[in-house]
Amino acid sequence: MKRSRTRVAFLDRAFRIGVLSACAAALALVVAQAVLAESPSPSAGASGAGASGAASGSPAASGTASSGPTLSGSPSATALATATAKPGATAPAKIDGNTCYSCHTQIGGAQHTIADQWQASVHGQNGIGCADCHGGDPTSDKITVAMDPTKGFKGVPSRQQTVGVCGTCHSNVELMRQYQIPTDQYAKYKTSVHGQKLLLSNDTKVAICTDCHGVHDVKKASDPTSKVYPLNVPALCSSCHSDPKYMDGYNIPTDQLEIYKTSVHGQALLVNKDMRAPNCASCHGSHDAQPPTSTTVVEVCGKCHTATQALYDQSRHAELVNGPKCWTCHGTHDVVKPSEARFFHPSPPQIDCGTCHNLADKTLKLNADRFKNDDDRRCDTCHHVDSLLYSQAQGIKSALDKASSAYDLALTRIAAAAEAGMIVADADVTVTQSKTSLIQARAAVHTTKLTEVASKADAAVTKAKEAQDFADARLAESQNRRQAMIIVLALIAVTILALILLRRGLDHTYEPG
Amino acid sequence: MATQTTAAPNGVVQWFEERVRATALFNALLHVPIPAEAKTYYLGGITLFLFMVQVATGTLLSLYYKPTPEAAYDSVKYITSIVEFGWLIRSIHHWAANGMIIFLLLHVIRIFVQGVYKYPRELIWIFGALLFAVTIGFGFTGYLLPWDQKAFWATTVGTEIAAAVPFIGESLLQLLRGGADVTDATLSRFFGMHVLVLPISLALLLAAHLTVVHQLGIANPKRPSLRPGQLPTPGIVERWKPFFPHYVLDEVIAWAILLALLVVAASVYPAGLEDKADALVTPPHVKPEWYFLAVYQLLKVVPAIGPLTARDVGILIPMLAMVVLVMLPFLDKNPEVAKRKRPVALIIAAIVLIGMGILTWYGGQIPAVAVAAS
Ligand code: HEM
Repeated sequence: MKRSRTRVAFLDRAFRIGVLSACAAALALVVAQAVLAESPSPSAGASGAGASGAASGSPAASGTASSGPTLSGSPSATALATATAKPGATAPAKIDGNTCYSCHTQIGGAQHTIADQWQASVHGQNGIGCADCHGGDPTSDKITVAMDPTKGFKGVPSRQQTVGVCGTCHSNVELMRQYQIPTDQYAKYKTSVHGQKLLLSNDTKVAICTDCHGVHDVKKASDPTSKVYPLNVPALCSSCHSDPKYMDGYNIPTDQLEIYKTSVHGQALLVNKDMRAPNCASCHGSHDAQPPTSTTVVEVCGKCHTATQALYDQSRHAELVNGPKCWTCHGTHDVVKPSEARFFHPSPPQIDCGTCHNLADKTLKLNADRFKNDDDRRCDTCHHVDSLLYSQAQGIKSALDKASSAYDLALTRIAAAAEAGMIVADADVTVTQSKTSLIQARAAVHTTKLTEVASKADAAVTKAKEAQDFADARLAESQNRRQAMIIVLALIAVTILALILLRRGLDHTYEPG
Repeated sequence: MATQTTAAPNGVVQWFEERVRATALFNALLHVPIPAEAKTYYLGGITLFLFMVQVATGTLLSLYYKPTPEAAYDSVKYITSIVEFGWLIRSIHHWAANGMIIFLLLHVIRIFVQGVYKYPRELIWIFGALLFAVTIGFGFTGYLLPWDQKAFWATTVGTEIAAAVPFIGESLLQLLRGGADVTDATLSRFFGMHVLVLPISLALLLAAHLTVVHQLGIANPKRPSLRPGQLPTPGIVERWKPFFPHYVLDEVIAWAILLALLVVAASVYPAGLEDKADALVTPPHVKPEWYFLAVYQLLKVVPAIGPLTARDVGILIPMLAMVVLVMLPFLDKNPEVAKRKRPVALIIAAIVLIGMGILTWYGGQIPAVAVAAS
């Protein structure tokens, strides 16, 4: 008896000690955690060091040539030599030997800003100095020597000169190789509308290098803050091209940006930030900016729409000299998402025969190039209702209509089955196959061949029906389940009823106590 | 009552009785003192029923389920769309899992409101609290098994919460996932937990829980249980109602109703399946199961306190709550059971419940979560 009581007392004490020490340990953990979090944690220190390491490392990593070739008036050979000679040196080193920088920062105001912009620019970071563009002697701290025209000092280059100044280095293959950038910009620029106007007609209003790339603050084209970064190009071009006053006299529209913004391309680029979508330069070129022509437009669009171009090339349209091109049906800046509505006008237009044909010999006289008005970009604008080709177009359209409505129907059935909680994986797979065929059928319209379109459209219909069958089977099964459920519920209800009756019978015999 | 069953039966029963001598054992097992005033609302029993449903349907599912990332998704799809009545088994397992959590919560609320966790039932409560943890563990591990997008990302986010535990968070995360990320290793250990570790734990804890309930009988919610040497209040005569067959029969009726509900839920809202898990495609919205929403939302809304970051606070509150839950019978020293005499406990509980309700609702409203951040 006594023994068992001591044992109980011992167990009791052991238990209390155990619980207390567990609580103490937990408290210690929490306090330790709190203290660790309060003191500057080792991980924060490490990440700080990492960040500064990365920051100081980046200029060295971005260019093997980080030291200054700024000593020479002619940038070419010396720049290369010095640049490769001291690959490890960092940007500030070249500022030491650059008296332009030290004086101009002291002047303050705009001069200081320019100096800072240059220092942060891709040129400043790679040791391309003031004298490389402006001439003069950056080793002398005397203004009369440093900015002496006999030492090659040019001052501010004119707009015509600027193109040459940039072109001198940027067309030099030896010099540019280390940066892995092309050297054909100057040559291309000379062929562009901008270049022609500047160099042949002395029109200084046209874009020159610095208008797009910046003057002292030149950035890499891959820098998202650069004006020539793909997402920023539409704004850049439109800074001149959307200004009616500025463009006055050139006889070109100024509403391209507004139109482009509403197009599939503009939406993809500007709204979805999809860099695969074309900006102005993708079709017009950049340094070689020229509007596409009816002989080049197919290649221009085909650069991205390769498969569609291949289909178009098989078509009757492509065989015709003055036949319709991409933009005849899709437009230019205003390309919208195509649909079956693109085939015909709501009611066939009444166009005089003479509009398109020479009435004498019935040959075609219309050059079907572009229609300004989107409503005119329809098959029946050219193909008269009574023509054979009109009925061919009708055949193509109805094949597509059939396929797309079969596809849509399958989708609604699948959605209904999914809504009922059924697993529709097989229907999903099949309807995706239908969609693939439908897309192919729509693309096949570019071949203008009914057989091509119809074979793909039929495949789409077959797959859509198959998918619909799967979905319908699921829907039927869901119905069956609900009916079976009613039967099972009835059985359970009967059981419950029986149990309740049994329970009632018991109550009579139940005597508390 | 005992006299009814001790009368020697004839025939088959007699045959077995002579060879097994089980009558005395059954009589003891089927005798649970139940005060006439006791009201259990059959909530614990329903939880037990749902657990049995889980064991039965889970065993059937395990005949087809394959616990590897390559095969898991397809095997679940196979069960749901090809196996005869596979959809029914899987859907019932799905709904009974949710039901188990709901009735468990109701059971705990009943116990708390009636104050029947007090002397001498502290151990029943502690076993119960552990059962609660195990049941939550079932939900957490089971959710990953279909290996679809929802499963994968909810587990990614859910295990992420473990990383917030002070001091051992990173190791805990590694332990849960079996590595740095949710991979085949995670699936293996979640499967092992779900079909072996947790069922065995739950069975053992349940045995302990019910054994003590059986020994002490159901509590009378009208008055505290008597301590040794304490005399009953004069004039009060304890009245009992028989456990078998009366109480058992009522219980079975409740189970039949639950079965009907499960059949309806499974038929009208069968368990679905999203796209197969893809570690490279983060879905726009990742939400854990509804019963984790409160904790999950808490993590997002709590402020930093003193040296503790918001993350620390967010994880310490539920951890502390679990400790409080387990220790409740020892923290609440008030011996009274009548509601009028324990207003503080009831008000605190009401605030906690309402708070959890609001957090759950709130967590369900706001869709997106930045998974990529981690
Ligand atoms: C899988 C989980 C659980 C199951 C299957 C279960 C089952 C049961 C059953 C069948 C009873 C008999 C009375 C009744 O039906 O209500 C009971 C009583 C009890 N349970 Fe649970 N329980 C579980 C979890 C819990 C939890 C989480 C707690 C508390 C944290 C708890 C605390 C209690 C207490 C204190 C009693 C005694 C009540 C009385 O005497 O009136 N149980 N449990």
